[in-house]
Amino acid sequence: MIVPLLHVLILAGILFVLGLVCVLVWRSNIIMMLIGIEVMLNAAMLAFVGGANRWGMADGQVFALMIMAMTSAEVSLALALVVYLHRRKRTVNTDEFSEMKG
Amino acid sequence: MKLYLALILLLPLLGGVVNAVIGRKLPRRLSETLACGVVGGAFVCALLAFSAYRAPVKVELCSWLAAFDFKAPISLYLDPLSLVMMLMITFVCGLIHLYSVAYMADDPDYARFFALLNLFVFAMLTLVLAENLPLLYLGWEGVGFCSYALIGFWYREEKNATAGRKAFIVTRVGDTAFGIAIVWMFQLFNTVSITELNGMGFLMPAGVITGLGLLLLVSAMGKSAQMPLMVWLPDAMAGPTPVSALIHAATMVTAGVYLLARMLPLVGGSVAALAVIALTGGVTAFYAATCALAQRDLKRILAYSTISQIGYMMLGVGAGAITAATFHLLIHAFFKALLFLGAGCIITAMHHEQDIFRMGGLRKSIPLTFWPFLAGALCLAGLPLTGGFFSKDAILMAVWLKGGPLYSGLYGLGLFTALLTAIYTFRMVYLVFGGGHSSEPLPTETPLHHQGGGSLRVPRLMEWILLPLALLGLFGGVLNLPAWLGEGWLGRFLVTQAGIKETGALHALELALQGVAAVIALLGVAIAHLRYGGARRRERLAAAETPPTGLTAFCLHGWYFDALYRFLFIRPFEALARILWERFDEGVIDDSLDRFAFVLGRTGQGLGSWTTGRVSAYILSFAAGAALILGYLAWVVL
Repeated sequence: MIVPLLHVLILAGILFVLGLVCVLVWRSNIIMMLIGIEVMLNAAMLAFVGGANRWGMADGQVFALMIMAMTSAEVSLALALVVYLHRRKRTVNTDEFSEMKG
Repeated sequence: MKLYLALILLLPLLGGVVNAVIGRKLPRRLSETLACGVVGGAFVCALLAFSAYRAPVKVELCSWLAAFDFKAPISLYLDPLSLVMMLMITFVCGLIHLYSVAYMADDPDYARFFALLNLFVFAMLTLVLAENLPLLYLGWEGVGFCSYALIGFWYREEKNATAGRKAFIVTRVGDTAFGIAIVWMFQLFNTVSITELNGMGFLMPAGVITGLGLLLLVSAMGKSAQMPLMVWLPDAMAGPTPVSALIHAATMVTAGVYLLARMLPLVGGSVAALAVIALTGGVTAFYAATCALAQRDLKRILAYSTISQIGYMMLGVGAGAITAATFHLLIHAFFKALLFLGAGCIITAMHHEQDIFRMGGLRKSIPLTFWPFLAGALCLAGLPLTGGFFSKDAILMAVWLKGGPLYSGLYGLGLFTALLTAIYTFRMVYLVFGGGHSSEPLPTETPLHHQGGGSLRVPRLMEWILLPLALLGLFGGVLNLPAWLGEGWLGRFLVTQAGIKETGALHALELALQGVAAVIALLGVAIAHLRYGGARRRERLAAAETPPTGLTAFCLHGWYFDALYRFLFIRPFEALARILWERFDEGVIDDSLDRFAFVLGRTGQGLGSWTTGRVSAYILSFAAGAALILGYLAWVVL
């Protein structure tokens, strides 16, 4: 069964908007923001894979693999940051970390 | 000859540099010996150069400034004029260095003092020996700097530092004129060599020569403290007394006279310039003599007398009589150095009391100072057969021989000044040395210091130095005896100098003029004796207690020239500076910058309020921006 590209892109768009809304709205918890970012990245990945399927080229799939590798690195770094931030202020609310406000 | 001349310059420079760099680390004796030794060495070299001297010689040591046509090598020119100046300078400087060792014995800052003194000797010799005007200017500025630094030597007192600044700034007026003159001469003649310039005066119209002469006169006015730039010299007495003797009496202040004598073949082409020089000299001589009549400070009397005597020299130059002017310059250097050093002895003995009305009876207590000082006073007053008599008379005779209403008037003024000179000199001598010992203790001193004549002590070395100077001052007349006594050595020696046109006078006329001068000088002494000698002395002392009024105050304050300049120059300058500072600098420049910074700061604050510190806000605006861009792209593509 071949899924048309348009459907794939619509699903990717919905996923991206969901992730974006998650990041924008759930600012009281930095972990939820990270999850939102992951969702957005997965949406982008889905679009790549859909494209690769549509034109029958491997580039999109290669890019999907690259995004996975990058995401794992990003998450490990980001979680370390979260631990550090939590240690400093005993909270994960991003609004608390506003020392650089002008 | 080249070696001698190089050594004469380099020895004092070496001493100065060594003392300036490591003088503080050297033991005191070594530093003093070095300072005196190098000047002594320079004097020996000067003597050797004198014995080896045959004809004017030009020595080029190395190149200094060279650009296109402009060439100013370090080259020296030795002719009779510079030779006698060099001998006088090294001799007097050597003696004063020795004297300073005793005078500054208690001062901890000996290294700075001797370094400056040695540098001064170097600069003065450069000035005298220079063959081109830029090199002369180098020495000119060098002596000016050393003078400034030495007047303000005890700079911790505000008064001394101010006096130094005043001297520096006032002489700067003259130096500026000198700088303009050098540049103008280069523009006119395409050379700055003195010997070449002196031979080229006839190429230019008289008006240009007059202009050059006046510029040089203004530079000489500054350095030699002539009207109207004379206000700095009395204040310059704030420096240590050896400095007053060396710089502000014997050598530096005569640099202006030397410059004019040097450039006379050029300047002499203009009758008007010569007349103005003579007029300046005559009026200054009279002015300073009247001021000296009313002074109370011993050193200020001598300072005004210096201005007055340099006025005579200027008068001599203005009459075209270089020989007479140089003769008076030499003799004056000897007796004025003697008087200042004697004053230094007196001041030391009186524990830094300088008011002559508080002295008295010193003839008995410090006789070894009294006799040389009296010799110097005799020379200054121009009593017959002293050196000062012959030299002053030579100038007056040259002025008389010039004829014409201006020079006749100046002759009369000069004679009257000679009378005043004799009066103020012996007023000083009578007040300082005459009378009994002042029994009442001096108000400014603790009685501990001043108990009878026994406590008056002067270091032996300081008094011994006075003797050779006294002999030279008294018998210096033999250097250039008037024609009726035989031929003058100095005149014969200087006659090889370019530009000297000696006009011989009849012996009878010369004798008559000298007779008049002698009578005038004796009359002055007699007046001083009547006013200040014997029993009258007490009346004068009583009169001196009340503050001066009328003419006396007018003379005491130097004809209120300081107040005049304060009113004419300093006040407007301060007002202008205040306007520029408060209105322009603070009001316009600073204020506009302040406003600009304020606006920028406000803008920054306004923009800064955008940074909420909330990540979500940033992401929202980021997303909105991205959506906008996407929308725009979709708009363009579809």
